[in-house]
This record gives sequence, structure tokens and C-alpha cells, in this order.
Amino acid sequence: MKPKPRFAALTCFLAGLLGGATLHSVSAEAIDFTNQIRPILQTHCLACHGGVKQTADLSFIHRDAALEVIVEGKPEKSLLMKRVLSKDPDEIMPPPEHGSTLTDEEIELLRQWIEQGARWQQPWAYQPPLQVDSPSVSSDPWCRQPLDRYVLASLDQKQLSPARDAAPSRWLRRATLDLTGLPPTPEAIKRFLQEVSNDGEAAYTSTVDKLLKSPAYGERWASVWLDQVRYADSRGLGADGRREIWKYRDWVIDALNDDMPFDEFTIKQIAGDLLPSPTIQDRVATAVHRLTQTNEEGGTDDEEFRINAVMDRVSTVWQTWQGVTFGCVQCHAHPYDPLQHEDFYRFAAFFNNTADCDLNAELPLLAVPLDPTDNPRASQLDNHIQTLQQSIWERESAALNTPAAKWNVIRNMTATADKETEVAIEKRNDRAEYYTVDTLSSNTEITLTVPLQGKLKRLSALRLTIAPGDPQAAKADSEWGFVLSHVQAALKSQDSKATPVKFTRVIGDEAAPFKNPDDSLNGKTNNGFAAYSRIHYPRTAVFVLESPIEVPNGSTLEIKIRNGVTELGAFPLIAKRGYVAVSDQPIFNPLLNATNLLSDRQQLKEMQEERAKIASSRIPILLERPSHLKRPTHVFTRGLFLTKGKEVQAGVPAALPPLPESNSKETGTQGMANRLNLAHWLINGANPLTARVTVNRVWARLFGIGIVATEEDFGSSGEAPSHPELLDHLALQFQNDLKWSLKNLIRTIVLSSTYRQDSRIRPELQETDTANRLLAHGPRFRMPAEMIRDNALFVSGLLSPQMHGAPVHPPIPGGVWKPFQGGDKWKTPETDDPNRYRKSIYTYTKRSIPFPMFAAFDAPSREFCTPRRLRSNTPLQALMTLNDVTFVECSQALAQKLINLSGDLESQLRYGFLSVTSRQANEIELKALTDLYEKCRQEQTNPLDSMTAVASVLLNLDEIMSK
Amino acid sequence: MQREQIEQQIRRQTLEARTRRHFLQNCATGLGGMWMATQAQAATPPTPGERQQNPLSPSSPPLPAKVKRVIYLHMVGAPSQLELFDYKPELNALDGKDCPASFLEGKRFAFINGTPKMLGHQYKFQQHGKSGMWVSEQMPHLSKTVDEICFIKTMQTEQFNHGPAQLMVHTGAAQMGSPSIGSWVTWGLGSENSDLPGFIVLLSGGRLPRVGKALWSSGFLPSVYQGVQCRSQGDPVLNASNPAGVSRQRRRQVLDTLEQLNRESHQQFGDPETLTRISQYEMAFRMQTAAPQAMDLSQETADTLNAYGAQPGKESFANNCLLARRLVEKGVRFVQLFDWGWDTHGSNQGESLNHGFRNKCTQTDKPIAALLQDLRQRGLMEDTLVVWGGEFGRTPMRENRMGGTMAFMGRDHSPDAFTIWLAGAGVKGGHSHGITDPVGYTPAENPVQLRDLHATILHLMGFEHQKMSVPFKGLDQRLTGVKPATVVQDLLS
Repeated sequence: MKPKPRFAALTCFLAGLLGGATLHSVSAEAIDFTNQIRPILQTHCLACHGGVKQTADLSFIHRDAALEVIVEGKPEKSLLMKRVLSKDPDEIMPPPEHGSTLTDEEIELLRQWIEQGARWQQPWAYQPPLQVDSPSVSSDPWCRQPLDRYVLASLDQKQLSPARDAAPSRWLRRATLDLTGLPPTPEAIKRFLQEVSNDGEAAYTSTVDKLLKSPAYGERWASVWLDQVRYADSRGLGADGRREIWKYRDWVIDALNDDMPFDEFTIKQIAGDLLPSPTIQDRVATAVHRLTQTNEEGGTDDEEFRINAVMDRVSTVWQTWQGVTFGCVQCHAHPYDPLQHEDFYRFAAFFNNTADCDLNAELPLLAVPLDPTDNPRASQLDNHIQTLQQSIWERESAALNTPAAKWNVIRNMTATADKETEVAIEKRNDRAEYYTVDTLSSNTEITLTVPLQGKLKRLSALRLTIAPGDPQAAKADSEWGFVLSHVQAALKSQDSKATPVKFTRVIGDEAAPFKNPDDSLNGKTNNGFAAYSRIHYPRTAVFVLESPIEVPNGSTLEIKIRNGVTELGAFPLIAKRGYVAVSDQPIFNPLLNATNLLSDRQQLKEMQEERAKIASSRIPILLERPSHLKRPTHVFTRGLFLTKGKEVQAGVPAALPPLPESNSKETGTQGMANRLNLAHWLINGANPLTARVTVNRVWARLFGIGIVATEEDFGSSGEAPSHPELLDHLALQFQNDLKWSLKNLIRTIVLSSTYRQDSRIRPELQETDTANRLLAHGPRFRMPAEMIRDNALFVSGLLSPQMHGAPVHPPIPGGVWKPFQGGDKWKTPETDDPNRYRKSIYTYTKRSIPFPMFAAFDAPSREFCTPRRLRSNTPLQALMTLNDVTFVECSQALAQKLINLSGDLESQLRYGFLSVTSRQANEIELKALTDLYEKCRQEQTNPLDSMTAVASVLLNLDEIMSK
Repeated sequence: MQREQIEQQIRRQTLEARTRRHFLQNCATGLGGMWMATQAQAATPPTPGERQQNPLSPSSPPLPAKVKRVIYLHMVGAPSQLELFDYKPELNALDGKDCPASFLEGKRFAFINGTPKMLGHQYKFQQHGKSGMWVSEQMPHLSKTVDEICFIKTMQTEQFNHGPAQLMVHTGAAQMGSPSIGSWVTWGLGSENSDLPGFIVLLSGGRLPRVGKALWSSGFLPSVYQGVQCRSQGDPVLNASNPAGVSRQRRRQVLDTLEQLNRESHQQFGDPETLTRISQYEMAFRMQTAAPQAMDLSQETADTLNAYGAQPGKESFANNCLLARRLVEKGVRFVQLFDWGWDTHGSNQGESLNHGFRNKCTQTDKPIAALLQDLRQRGLMEDTLVVWGGEFGRTPMRENRMGGTMAFMGRDHSPDAFTIWLAGAGVKGGHSHGITDPVGYTPAENPVQLRDLHATILHLMGFEHQKMSVPFKGLDQRLTGVKPATVVQDLLS
């Protein structure tokens, strides 16, 4: 039991009522909502009155909602105060069973805050970055870069001095590793030291420029980005089959090496396909959204996992560009941040109308030329093909839909089906519709018998409309679609004589469908007119006769529809409902065979053939569905996709700036917003998060911890920035002066005095700041998995410089590779094949069987966005670098390399030590290595094996794994 | 020499004091922070220095615990409860009749399409033991141990496809990327044997489960808590063997030199992580002998091998059961077995109730019975929990994939009611919890969610499931998720 609060609280309460002087030592200055009030609400109130639970319909997330219990300026009239001050255990807030009561001080803060008008502030990250005057500091000369002033000012405040500059060779090691993922060679160190003594500071700048130009820069920083966007070469879940999508990985490497500004980098990935006349590369960028998992397991609901992928795209965009965990908003309003349940679905609507689904074929695919020099030609062809396809289809559709076609709707027919499928007929909208009942058998053939009864004397075309089984529900929920694998028709005269009807064309209701409608006429394929893979709306195709035929009186038309496609070993794609119209007008063939259409179709065919000749890798990308087939987006009640709430339109949360107005095709559409509008919202100067999150990510990779330590959470449950002004300064500098150039940002940081500091952990700071949040010394931490492996390959001389291309399969321990699908082979190249020793970023990444070395060293298995990696230190890591085949080969190669050097043992050992640590061995170190070598030799081990033992020590040093 | 030792001791002590501070400082964001969140409630936490040097050093749970170790037997593919433990005489009466429409309303299936037929039990059931538990003729050995077993007949899951459902069982979430139950437990309790991984995974049946390592992933917990797959063929732990031509003595020399050099860099850079690395290399060295020894079945008597049906050098479920006993005996915290091949749709002979299923029963019945008996005899049952189950159940209807008749007898996936059983410390023997409807399709009373099972296992190990959480991506993440979960008191002894 706490002794005093009851009485004290009452006194305080009375004091409050009287409006008198405070009894407590809380300063009477303006109360700061963010620092003084929000923490109280967060700790004591939000669990019950937050975004998730809004007990008594009360929430303290938004001011409007909180005003239910707060009267601005009048604490004595505010229910909030009455409840926190109450003595009645049934009344007091928070209730005793939910935690301790507020302290007197906290109550007094609330009182003053209400008295001052209960002013509210958005969480810091939702407010725009502020440019403050650069602070005055104790030492101007120390500050090589503007950013240093913010760091030094905060050290000054704590009466700490920064560490001295690291020795030039230490800086060089750090910067080389950070910029290229590889250590400097002994020769590079020598050269740099010479340059420093000749040119002084200029040597640093020129070295950074050189390092930034190295192609290894893009490889190093691509791995950071690929963690964010969950890049893998497999599909995840289900069977985790292989996915060919490495062209996207190469796109990232190239974009970084070309220093594509981050705003452009963003636009292309979010909406490259929607740019006017997009290039191949613009469209490759959108593959980022096809890195989501698919579930190829038999019997999985395609729509369920398509939706999961859309949700993941939403979460990943938020996590990666906005540093906010949006996933929880899928089920309810954000527990702490001003994000509403509906916001999630409004945002999801941006991504909900792409043509992809959750099937093994991974359509739509883009053929990306293997040889990048073919890109311009392929881009041009693709754009021409697309335009021409659209134009041909529009003209053909117009021909079919002209009033002159005089479509005759069939109001009477009978239907049968084979296998276990049953069909029935009903009258709907004054026409006859067949529909399936209950069980659907694979490969069902449906036969429609249509009495023509003197309706028409001639038959020139047949119009088949296939609708969802439940047309109303399917608009929101969609059903499995259909593929008309083979459609045949015959005219039966009264005496049952059958005359086959010969069709020449099938024209569907979209310009570039996945499956060619004409294939419905080809009994040898299972393709044809389709709603693939889902159906929301009735879909229509017109079957045009080779030439109109006479219809003898009393004839019936018999139409046979074979449904030959079954998906996921479980779901027969059956045309579940349909109706028919016929025409007798002889207008179709002349219209469809107009000269310009004929020649355009011919040109289209030629271009498609030319395009097909360009050797390509076919990768999944984003493609928008045609607007007349647009999927509606609904709120999912409690996040469950089967319970749909109200329909929503694409939009962004109200807590953030609105979508910028679009004034050209390059920036999006006017009116209904699309992904291009969204992309521009992300990189618009008014967005308070994108630049902050991006500079923080770069900072964290360089310093080991972000200015906001919780890189994944800039929201109110994340950690506050250690240097808020520094963060804002960098964010503004990045998006304004540096024009979103990542290379410039990195250059600025690695040339700063903050980064240049010696990394030794000073004893006085070990007490208070081992995580180096104060930035009172330079960074030192264990390198990520890829760098550890690449370093070993590099110093031993095995690393292949080959860039780009299909993933490779370096050695893995026996027994690890047991993929669920036997066809996915891990074929390790022999020791004379450079593909055995490629940079880690080119290693085949399979989600269900992560590369053992990466898994041991904390690389994520890339199922979802991983904003930052944890760093662990385990015995399995030791076994990996001591015994794994690659590391063993590295130590052998390093040993051979050292032995081949001219000079004595000492110089060989010195060179080896210098190669891995970038510093000279001291006498103790040299002696230890010499002793080991000598001991091995004394034990009759040959020189190479003895040196291999030494190399194994070198490759396992804490220093080779640390920056 | 002596002076050197004393100096070294002093150095170690200062270091430890320093690393402890380092650790506490690092808490806010690092491994420490997460771990401290749980350990704040622990009764006797290891010193932070210990955890820094060995993240698996053992600790006591915050609450009294009956279970110290778990052996989890997962029958991958989902065994049919209707051919094993859930006896429903009325189902036999309905055999071959059309499934009533009420069973199908609002349901989604993996493969059933339209109206399927009901399918009676394919095997005979009998009552066993003093408790009179019903078990089918396919488990003759296990039938003799029913008085030790606590059945849950009304397990429910939210997923009806294998991948997501297996993830639900092991990580509490349907998507890849969350920590598995073994990781949570090892994170909370460490391991009693620092020479072996704390969480070990053994596979049989010839195939990896479809989501692979995601089932024993440490998710957002540090990777040291991930399950380590051990094999009875080849290297028991990846890279445990020295490379060809490197003797243990040579390795020792290498490690001695390495330690010397690492201590030198610690002198230079003052980074406590360097000291941690030194101790990890020493643990690795010990693991190189400890792991092969633990995995060596030839050390068992012929009687024991016979009882399990184990054969040294083979990959089999029987071997894995025996290995599981050896591992828990040595203090491994969580041993996870996956046995592939239980997906009995009837689409082919292997995946059918009348063929493949019988083989799976034969392969597992005797080893499981032997495991329970062996644990009992060695006194390990006092503080070890054995869990058996699949990822969902099977329908009382016969599967009619693609609207046709299947070549063999089989049942589709059924998430609403399936059987999981527990045996050992803290749970009632000869007990059955929950009753299903007359055809074994849905719970008639006492449904149990997977999160309830997780809460119960954590409870038995001394953790309150709501408090065992880690802040990640803006949420307090826990094994039992955000929906309410309850400890199933009726199971507890």
C-alpha cells in the first residue's frame, strides 16, 4: 500500500477546484503535450481507451475524441480529472486492477494542461521536419560537416568531448567496408596513407568519390534495400517453388550504382508501370511488389492469398517508406498512432486492382531482355504492341456492339452437363440463364440447346456471356473464374440432322487478356476465353461465324462448352452461369476484316514475333486491370477477408498530408487516385516521414544503430530520436540540397567528424553509453552475414568480380538441401568455376531453406520486410567460419597466397594480418601467429597446411568480422 | 605462471563487471532488452554477464513450473482423428450417405466440392487401460499407455491449408516470420546444457515440411534461439566436424592462437563483444564433441534399440524418438520432431487411409510407446512433457476432389475439431478433454484453440503467456497472439 496518494490527491483536487496555486512543484510553464502528457496517456490510458479498445467509446488517440471527457481550460469541469482523482475504487481511473494510480505530479500535469487549453500535438514523426538554426558549439573547427554541429552540441550539453579522429587507415577500413562491403587491400592502405601525407584532407574526399564509383557500392547497399522489400528467389508458403525475379535484384544494384535519386527510385517501384510510355526498367522496378509470398499448396483459396499479398504490399510500403507499422490497422484502428481502420483499406485500394493472383504461373510476366543492350528496342516494341493491341480491340469491340448487330437475346433454352456437374435454367432479367448446381467436376462439358424457332433465318454470330454463380455477391467477393477451353456449336434441324457451325474469331471483353479467346476454337489447348483466375462481373465474348449460315425453320442451336482447366489440383474453373444472344446480321466479317484492321493485326503479329526473339528472363511485375473490370475494395471487418464492410476508394490517412494535386500524366491521374499519385505523395516534400526514415536507415547501417533506434517504428510506441534536430537536418538536406542522392548523403556522413571518430570505447562512456547513442566515438560492430562471407572470399583472392545474373549455388553442407519440390536443384559449381565464389548477394535465396551461413549470421529469410537485423554471437557462427567448406577453401587459398609472396615468414604473416584487419600486427600478435606456424611445422605438417592453420585463425578473428 | 593466472582472474572480473554494465545499457534495443522484458519476472535470472557470454545460460521461470523440457511430435500432414482417437459409432451408421447440407453451410474446403458422402471409421476401435480410453486398432502399442495420456479431442485452428496451419501450430501465426514455440521457450529458459543447442529439430518421413525452417525459426527473437536441425546421418550439427586433415589437437592450437589475438584486439578496441566471441568459440569447440556423442545411438543397449525399433545410422522416426530421449536427458530444452506423410486424401496409395496411413501408424506406434515408457523408467517423465498432434483434423466426409470419386479412401482437411494429446509432467493421465459432435466434425463442448494449448504449455513451464512478450513493430508480440487465450485447467494434474 502506498501511504499518501489518497489525501494528497484530494488536496490537489480541491486546489484545482479553487483554481488556486499548485501544491506541487510542477512548473507552471506551458505544458508540452508530446513530452509531458502523451506519455501519461500512453502508459495509463491507451490500453483501454486507445485505437484497439475504446472502452466506453472513449479514445485518447485523437483530440476530438478525448474532448468527450475534457473541457478545454476547465479542469474542474473535466470528467477526466474527476475520475483520476476519485476515491471510489469503482470510479477511479485507471481502475486498481489495471495498474497503479497516477502520481500527484502526473495529475497536476494533466490539470495544468487542461487549464492551458488541452492543446494537442501529433506524434513527432507526423509533424514535418523542422529546420532549426545550426547550433553553436564548443569547437567550430571540429565540425567538418553541418551535421557535426548537432552531434557536438549534444555532447557539449553533456559536457563530453568527442573522440579523437581515427587513424587514417582505420577510417579507410571503415569507409571501404561501409561503401563497398569489402576491406581495403594492403596496397590501397599504402596508397591512401601516401595521399593523406601529400594532400591532407583532400585525400579523404577523393577516396570517398572513388569508393562510391566502385560497382561494389551498389551490391553492398542493394542488400540493405532487399531486406526491406523481402527479396527472395522463391515463392514462400505452400511449396516455396523457385521464382525467377533476379532482374529486379539487378535493377536495384544498377539503380544504386547510377545513384538514381531516391524520389525517382520510389516512383519507379511504386508505379513504374503507370508512367507514360514506361521503359522495361520502369516496369522491372514494380517487381518489388511481386516479391510477396504465394501459396502454391493444393486446395488453397487463390483470393485469400492474393489478398494477403496486397496486405503485405501495403505493410511493406508503410514499413519501408514511412517507418510505421501499418499491419495492425488491418484489424482495427492503430493502438497508439492516429491511423484509422479504414485508412488501411483506402491505402490497400491503391494496390488492389493489379492483374496478378496467387497461382503458380505468376502472371502477369514481363520478358526482360537478358542482354540489357536490348532494353531500348524491347521497351519500344512493348509500348507499340500495347498501344496497337488496345486500338485493335477497341475497334473490334465497336464493330460487335454497333446497334446494327441487332443482338437477339435468347429467352428459352435447355442445358445439360456431364460428370457429376448438374445444371439448371432460370429466367432472369427476361432471358434464359443456365447455372450449375452444387458439385463441379473437373473437365465438365456443358451443353446448351437453344430453339431458334423462326427467330432468325440466318446465324452470323453468337454472343456468350458468362456470369458468376452468384452475380450479386461476386462483385465484392469474386468467385473462381472460368476458361472456355473448347466451344463448339451445331445447328440441328427438326429431323435431328446436325450441321456444325464454323467459327472464325472469338473476341473477348479485354484488350490483352492472359489467355487468347481464339483458343476456345482450338480443341487441342485448354486455353480460350476466360475470366482468369477470378470473376467479379459478367464477362462477354462474341463468336463470329466463318460466314453466316441459313437457319432452317424449327432448328435448334446446340452449344457445347468444355471447361478444361482445374487450378491447384482442386478447383475446376467452370463457367457457372451463362446466357446467349445471337445475331443474323452479316456485318461482322466485313467490319473485322477492314483493311486497316487486317494490316494492324498483321503488324501486331510481326512485332510480337520480333519481341519473342529477344532472349529474356520472364519475371512477375505489376499490371493494372482494365478500368471496366476494376476490383472494388472493401473494409474487412476485423481484418477478415470473408466479412466485407463498406466499399472504399484509394486514399491516404488524414493524419498525414493529403495526396498532392496531379497536373500531368507523369504525376498521376486527376480525380480517382492511382499508384502514381501515391508515389508522388511519398516523395512530396510535405510527407514528414519518407526522408527521415531513409536517412535514418543509412545512418543505422553506418553507425550500427539509428538516430531512431527502432527503425521499424517511428510511431509513438517506437523510441524517440536520440538527436531529433540532427535527424530533421539530415532529412531536409537529403530531400532538398542533396536532391535525394543517396551517394551524396553517404558522402556527407562518412566525411563527417562524427563518423571519423576513433571507435575505441572509452572507459568513462562504457558506464553510460555503450550503445553509443551519444555518438561520442566512432562505430564498431559485427558486419552483416554477406560482408563476412565476401570478406573471406576477397582476402583469400577467391572472390569473383562477376556482377548480375541468375542466382548461384555456392557450397552448402550435405543434407541441408531437401526442398519440398524435388525439381528445385542446388547444383554447386566446381572449384574451377567462378560461380562458386560470387558475392553473397547473388546466392539463391530460398525462403524455406535459408543459406546456412546467412541464417547463422542473422540475415533474415526475407518472408517480410525486415527493417533492421539483430546481431547475435553464437557457437554455430564459430562452427560456420571454422569448418564450412567455403571458409575452409578460403583459408587454403589465403595460405597459398601468403606462401606465394616473396619474402620471409614474418613478412608473409604481416601481410596476411594486414589484409584481414587493415592494420599492422603488433609484436604479440606476430609472435602468436609465428608460434602457431612453427608448432605446426614441428609436428611434421607441411608448409601449406601449417599456413592454412594460420589463415584459419586470421579468417576467424573478431576483427575480420568487425568494422 | 601463478602471477599470470591471478592477473587473468582480475582481468576477467573487471571485464565481467564491465560487460554487465554494457549489457544493461544495451537493453533498450539489443538482445538484452528483449530478454530482460521476460526476465524481469524471472525468479533467479542468470547474471547479465552470463547471458552476454552465453545467451543460452539457464534460468528459472517466473512462476512455479512442472515442466522443464518438451518433446513435441508433429505428424506432418494431419493424421485422421477418426481413424485414431475420436470414436464416433454414429459415423459408421452414416457411411456412404450424402453429407447433410447443414455440415457444408458457410464452410470452405481445400478439396471437397459440392456434396460429398459421409465416411465411417476405417478401423476398429476399442477401450483401453483403467481409464477406458478409445483407441483404434492401428495403435496397438500406444493403446497400452493410455493411462498416461491426456487427450484433447476438440482442438481447433483457423487454417485449413498445411503451410499456414503448421505455422499456426508452431508459431501461433499463419504466416512465416514469427518465433516458434521452441524459440520462445529457449529464449525464456535458456538451456541446461551449454554444449548443445537448446532447441533441436529432428526430421523423418523423407521430406521437409513445406514451410521448412520457418517452423523452427526464431522470428524476431535473436537467431541464437532458432531450432537447430540435427541429423542421425552425416554431421549431427552443421559443420560440427573439422575439415579433413584438421585434428582436434590442431583445432585446439588454432583456437588458442585465436583467443590470444582476440584478447589483443579487445585490448585495442575495448569492445565487450570480442569477449563474447571468445566464449562462443569455446562453446563451439565443446559442441563438436558433445553433439556427436548425444546423437550416437550405438551407445544404447540392444534392448532399448529394440523397444523403439531404432537402427543406428538410419533416418527414421524411431531413431528420432530415441534421440529425443537422449537429448532431453542431457538437458536440451525443446526437442521438436516432424514426421512427414500423414496427408491422407485418398488421391493415391501413399496418401490414403487404407494404405499409407497404416504404414505411418506402424512406423510411429511402437517408438512413441517406447519413448513414453523410457521417459517414465528414467524418471524423466517427472519434468518432461510430450505433445503429439498434427496441424488440423480430417473431415467425416470422404473427399471428392474435383467433383469426382477418389481412387482410395481419404478425408479432406478439417480445422474445426482434431485430436492432440499430451503426456508427462503436469497433465492428467487417462483423461480426455472436450467432446466432438456425433460425427467428430465440430466440438460439442469445450473447444480448445491452438493459442489455448500454447498458453497451457507456457503455463506448465512457468510462464504467464500474456506477460511473455516482446515489443516488435509497434506491438507486444506474444506466442498466443492478440486474441484471448486461456490455460486449459482441466488438463492439469
